[in-house]
Formats: sequence, C-alpha cells, structure tokens
Amino acid sequence: MDQVSVAPAGMLLAGSVTALAAALWLLLPKALDTPGTRRLGALLGAIAILGFAATGRTLGCLGADAVFLVVAGVAVVSGLATIVTRSPVYAAIWFALTLAGVSGVLLVLGAQFLGVATIVVYAGAILVMFLFVLMLAQPSGMASYDRVSSEPLLAAVSGAVLLGLLTLSVGRLSASAPPACCAMPSRAQAAAEAVRPQTATPSQAAPQNQMTDADEVARLGAELFGRHLFAVEVAGLLLLVALVGAIAVVSRAEAADGDQGRSRR
Amino acid sequence: MITASLLHNALIVGAILFSLGLVGILTRRNLIVMFLCAELMLQGVSVTLVAWSRYHGDWGGQILVIFVLTVAACEAAVALVFILQAFSRTGRLDAVAWQALREDNLPRTVDRELPAGDTAPPSWPRLSPAGIRPDSDDNQALQRDHV
Repeated sequence: MDQVSVAPAGMLLAGSVTALAAALWLLLPKALDTPGTRRLGALLGAIAILGFAATGRTLGCLGADAVFLVVAGVAVVSGLATIVTRSPVYAAIWFALTLAGVSGVLLVLGAQFLGVATIVVYAGAILVMFLFVLMLAQPSGMASYDRVSSEPLLAAVSGAVLLGLLTLSVGRLSASAPPACCAMPSRAQAAAEAVRPQTATPSQAAPQNQMTDADEVARLGAELFGRHLFAVEVAGLLLLVALVGAIAVVSRAEAADGDQGRSRR
Repeated sequence: MITASLLHNALIVGAILFSLGLVGILTRRNLIVMFLCAELMLQGVSVTLVAWSRYHGDWGGQILVIFVLTVAACEAAVALVFILQAFSRTGRLDAVAWQALREDNLPRTVDRELPAGDTAPPSWPRLSPAGIRPDSDDNQALQRDHV
C-alpha cells in the first residue's frame, strides 16, 4: 500500500519539475521569442503550479484552507511573472503583488505583525525605492539586456531541480510525521507541545490557527524588546550605517566625476 | 500553532518562491531585476521561517524575519546607490557590462560578448517586413509611450 501511494506522488513530482523547467525556459526572455512560445510557457507554468499544489495535497490536506490556497496562488503566480517580465517596471509591480500574496500567507499562518510589516516596509518603502531608481536609471524603451537573458535553459533546469528536491524533502518530513488530516494536530506537534510547555502557556487554551489573537503582537513585542534587545540596538546601528554609507558613496562619486560630467550613453 | 498540513503547504510555497528567485537572479541581466529576485528569495525564506515558528510555537523565527526585513532595507539602500553609480558610468543596467571586473594580475574572463546594439537606440520587436518602409520621425518616436 505504501508503494502504491508513493509511486504516483513521485511521478507527479517529476512531471511538475519537468513542466516547470520547460515553462521557465519558454517564458524567460530570449532572442527567439514569439507570443506563441510565451503562451505555451504560461500554460505549462499553470500546469506545473497545479502539479505542485497537487503534491501539497498528497502531502497534507490542501483543501482545508481555501484562503491559503488563494493567497499562495497569488504569491506564486506573480512571483513567476516577476522573473519573466521583460519590463523592469512591470517586474516591480508584479513583485508588489507577490508581497501582497506573501503577506496573506503570513496572516493565514497567524503572524499578524509580519503580515502587516511586509506590506508597510516592503511594498511601502523598499519597492517605492526600487521604482524611483528605475525611473532614474531606465533608458527609454526596452533595452537589449532586458530582452535577452543569459543561459535561460540551465537556470530553468537548475531551479526546477532544486524545487523538486526541496519538495521531496518536505515529503520526507511529512512521511516521518504521518499527516494526520486537517483538523487535528500531528504527533510531532503534540510532542513539541509536551516538550515545551512553558513557552506558549497562554495560547494553549486558545483555538488552533487563530487570526484574531489580540495578544499576538504584544507578545511578539515583549519577546523582541526583551530577549533580543541588544539585537534591536545593533539593527538600529546598521540602519544608521547604511544611511550614512549610501550618502557617502553618492557624494564621493559626484565629487569624483563632477568635472568630467556624466557619461550617460 | 498551526497544523502539520498547513506547515507543509507553507514550506512548499516558500520553496517555490525561493526557487523562482534563484532562477531569476541566475538568468536575468538587469541589475535591478536581479535585486528584485534576491528580494523574492528573501520572501520565500521568510515564509519558511514563519511557518516553522508558528508550528513550534517559538518566537525565534518571527524575530529573525523582523531582522531580515531590517537588513533588506539597509541592503536595498546601499545596493541601489551602487546600481545608480554603475548606471551613470556605463549607461546600462546590464550585469554583463561588469563581467571584466577583476584584479590587475588576473586574466580577463568573458562569459558573453556585449551585444553590438547596446549603444544603439532601444531594440523594438522585430517585425517581418511588409510594404514600404515608413519614414520615421524622431520626435514622434520620442513621444511613443513605453515603459
């Protein structure tokens, strides 16, 4: 019975990896691109993503959480679009959508603060900085280096193989801790709770996977500013150093080629 | 606390995001897009860390993700400055333009020849020739909307 259930999963995984490699190769910018190859690539990419989703279903029970399915699908599809889009501005916009999906995943996982911080810090600050730099540095029209990528076949194959291996190891993980179906916690989790009763004392009575635990952020803040206070100070110092360093690099470079002028194109 | 099946699904999502970012950073040549792909890899790692953190009921993973966010902000600031400097020197955002960066006594390695059209105006999609050649107006070409 075990082999009967393992073999189709392995074939499904191999098929998903192959489809993903082919889809990435077809979608990545190449010299000999036509709309037909990109359409075929998008189709294969959808098949590959569905295949990995089905792999997840055989590992656990994917149908349990429809919200997770939706936000994870948004994150993965827009992540794929981020790396295959020709225009860097569109890539940044797709990355913003990826951030929205990842933030949804974090919320479903129950990390409320991080879900919101991802939107605020990444999409609000870092991505806007990217867009500013793109506006400053973008030559007009599509540059040749956006239209032809380097070694798309090797990169697609290696990425797909890496993803297959990672998925396989997750499968090993779930095989070692047999997936008790959706509602009840697994044996590993029960063991973890038994080993560590002192860390999560107030939340033990709370319902599983709650998204409305009011104490969540407060406890995260207590942990951050209690046990990790020194690291917070170091992070603040790092931010200051990055700020000063960025300004120093800009001003020194401008002083260096102030007389010879900019040599743009 | 989350269930084991949700943990595994989140791990797979994190693995997919990480692999996509890896493919992008290996193969794209625009420096800014490469940087976006690095951020995509960081997102995959964040999802994985948060999933394990929630599964074990331990705050360590989420704390680590907070510091990842901080370091990513610093890294973006410094790296974008360098990218802007590189652009103002070469006029391109191409990583291939910097492939000859080396120390004095090392041999020059060339992975990929610079395409000839790099200083030429942007390469538009190649259309099959049909009809007579239209007379092109430079002003009109500048007004054409593109991203």
